Amino acid sequence: MCLGIPGRIVEVRRDAGLPMGVVDFGGVRRDACLAYVADEVDVGDYVIVHVGFALSKVDEEEAHRTLDILRQMGELEELA
Amino acid sequence: MSSLASGPVCPVPSGQHDRVQLGHGSGGKMSAQLLREHFLPRFGNPWLDRLGDGAVVPVEGAEIAISTDSFVVSPLEFPGGNIGHLAVHGTLNDLAMMGATPRWLSVGFVLEEGLPFDLLDRVLDAMAEATAAAGVSVVTGDTKVVDRGKADGMFVNTTGVGMLHDGFRPDPRGARPGDAVLVSGPLGRHGMAIMAVREGFAFESEIVSDTADLSPLVASLRKELGSRVHALRDATRGGAASALNEIAAASGVGVELDEAAIPVPGAVQAACEMLGLDPLYVANEGVLVAFVAPEAASRAVELLGSHPAGTGATVVGAVVAEHPGMVVLRTGLGASRVVDMLPGDQLPRIC
Amino acid sequence: MKYLAEYRDPKLARALVERIRRTATRRWTLMEVCGGQTHTIVKQGINDVLSEQVEMIHGPGCPVCVTPLEQIDRALHLASRPDVLFTSFGDMLRVPGSDCDLLRVKARGGDVRAVYSPLDALELARRNPDKEVVFFAVGFETTAPANAMAVWRARELGVKNFSVLVSHVTVPPAMVAILEAPDNRVQAFLAAGHVCAVMGWTEYEPLAERYRVPIVITGFEPMDILEGIWMAVRQLEEGRHDVENQYVRAVRREGNQAAQDLMERVFHVVDRGWRGIGVIPSSGLGLRPEFSGYDAEVRFSLGFIRADEPAACRAGDVLRGRIKPSECAAFGTACTPESPLGAPMVSSEGACAAYHNFARVGRGAQRGA
Repeated sequence: MCLGIPGRIVEVRRDAGLPMGVVDFGGVRRDACLAYVADEVDVGDYVIVHVGFALSKVDEEEAHRTLDILRQMGELEELA
Repeated sequence: MSSLASGPVCPVPSGQHDRVQLGHGSGGKMSAQLLREHFLPRFGNPWLDRLGDGAVVPVEGAEIAISTDSFVVSPLEFPGGNIGHLAVHGTLNDLAMMGATPRWLSVGFVLEEGLPFDLLDRVLDAMAEATAAAGVSVVTGDTKVVDRGKADGMFVNTTGVGMLHDGFRPDPRGARPGDAVLVSGPLGRHGMAIMAVREGFAFESEIVSDTADLSPLVASLRKELGSRVHALRDATRGGAASALNEIAAASGVGVELDEAAIPVPGAVQAACEMLGLDPLYVANEGVLVAFVAPEAASRAVELLGSHPAGTGATVVGAVVAEHPGMVVLRTGLGASRVVDMLPGDQLPRIC
Repeated sequence: MKYLAEYRDPKLARALVERIRRTATRRWTLMEVCGGQTHTIVKQGINDVLSEQVEMIHGPGCPVCVTPLEQIDRALHLASRPDVLFTSFGDMLRVPGSDCDLLRVKARGGDVRAVYSPLDALELARRNPDKEVVFFAVGFETTAPANAMAVWRARELGVKNFSVLVSHVTVPPAMVAILEAPDNRVQAFLAAGHVCAVMGWTEYEPLAERYRVPIVITGFEPMDILEGIWMAVRQLEEGRHDVENQYVRAVRREGNQAAQDLMERVFHVVDRGWRGIGVIPSSGLGLRPEFSGYDAEVRFSLGFIRADEPAACRAGDVLRGRIKPSECAAFGTACTPESPLGAPMVSSEGACAAYHNFARVGRGAQRGA
């Protein structure tokens, strides 16, 4: 249900019409099917991949915002 | 019972085994059960019962070390090496873990009909190179050929004999509260290098097997630290977790690990994330765990690190008197959890 | 690893723990639905460090654990056939059926292979035209799009020797079943982040409203779980019951439309049995009739089978959060990872296995035999 990890698209192609790509997970690369995100992603984008399928494009802005909020929270906690 | 008329009828309920399963070779609890229930009752003797990496036998006043290992890896060739490297390094390392300097090897081959000669030659080249580099001689051997389909390409057995040194007897029962727990390098490289070329799971990466002769590392520890090295084990199948559990159990001590200190290369971590595997349980072929007296810990790290095969050596934890036989890991949040042996092989997961 | 490692920062995690401790004025009872979240919580000790602020009840979010016994037995039957190459996700291999499991069938000569992706199984079918390749299509809504695509592609490419044994389950009916139970103690949910990446969260809005429970869509890293818990606790303290999204980097309200579309074309909603719980109406997905050529149950005429669980197994109570695994009489004794009585002890996401493997020292944890 769960094991989806983020990776960066480094290659896109079509296999007999099916959008596929090579995704880089921190130095490990694997094919992933991009059919479910094909309209919104390109090389360089990050996607969440589960059992060889990209299910969602990582919203990098939101990701950074979350981290910033958490880091601010961390600093406040240190002062508290 | 299933009432499916033509379905399989497993004569033995879950929990008991009527046939050998892959898990029996995993280095985890099923392996231990296999030894306990089938082999030890038949062969038990003071040497075997210790279940060390090898045996120390008296030879007219001296003591020599003997160890044997069989190699069945598939595929025969993988990033970073082939079965020949494993066959030599594996037995050299077992002898080294007992404190011995390896001297002689025997090699037995079971070759599958149809094995290409150029593959065999690559394996033999690897073995020749590895034995020469270690100053070890292959003094006897045997070869059999079996029908196509019976040997996965080839199976190799190596048996090694080494000379022991006075005052240096690292022993799985030798760990003491206060000891520092070290690993000689980053974890998980061999197992993930194999997984990268395994059908159904293949992926591209720069991960290469860490297969290496660890005997020079042990020699360095012996020459300078001697009996302050209490226990050694190479962290092969079952990973570092299994090796640590075996020593903790044999010595009757607890082990506490610091999660942040455990070295795992980025690519190994990434591959483990993808497949849902824990690097602590992934096989290595060039990493040892060492239990040393606390005052010797930092020098031990330096000595290990002075060898290429010891790059990345570091302290990962300590021995305690509490929870004897148990390995416990302290997480980033400050909580603790037990790192137990697995029953069989670790399985990739989807959840 | 980018967008992963940053969410494991121990310093930030400890700050979040402090924040939760200061926000909670009493102890609250939360349920995380997804097995992957259970794994992180137990592995990192999150339930221990927050034990005074929250009780985490582990939900039935482990598809391996809830796959009905009859489907496992069907899988074992197929895997034993000499003409079948049976493929499956790795974590299904040790799940016990009525008498057996897939690894034992493999030991007896069955061609059983673990794969990472359903497309790998389809590829095996193309490369082994003389074998019947069956793929064990289990999972929640996260995995359904992948399994749907495998069937869709098989038809597109004209692959004749491929079929799937389907056992999909969906989350919202399970949450309703939990909320409707008379002894329900769950006050807020951490919803499954990747299920929602596919389905969005529109299905959860009526649930939050009707049952007055906060539902926070949460990711899987330690900081995601902690932030999700904090958001749920904050809602409870403020008396709100909204659907909130913690996992903003991966989940949007409408989810993944393309995935939902293909799921809709290949699957339809069916009643589904949940192992240990029983049948939950309209809680599963099955292949639509026009794809029956790819349905292993049809292709191999797998009819009705009756399957019985070992009496001592209390998986149902564990999966519903009624008891903790350690409260089951068989836990650690008759039931261990080496000889499991039920599925939650086998799957590494199962609550029983998580409790056993990640046992706490302080709680007088017993080492397995």
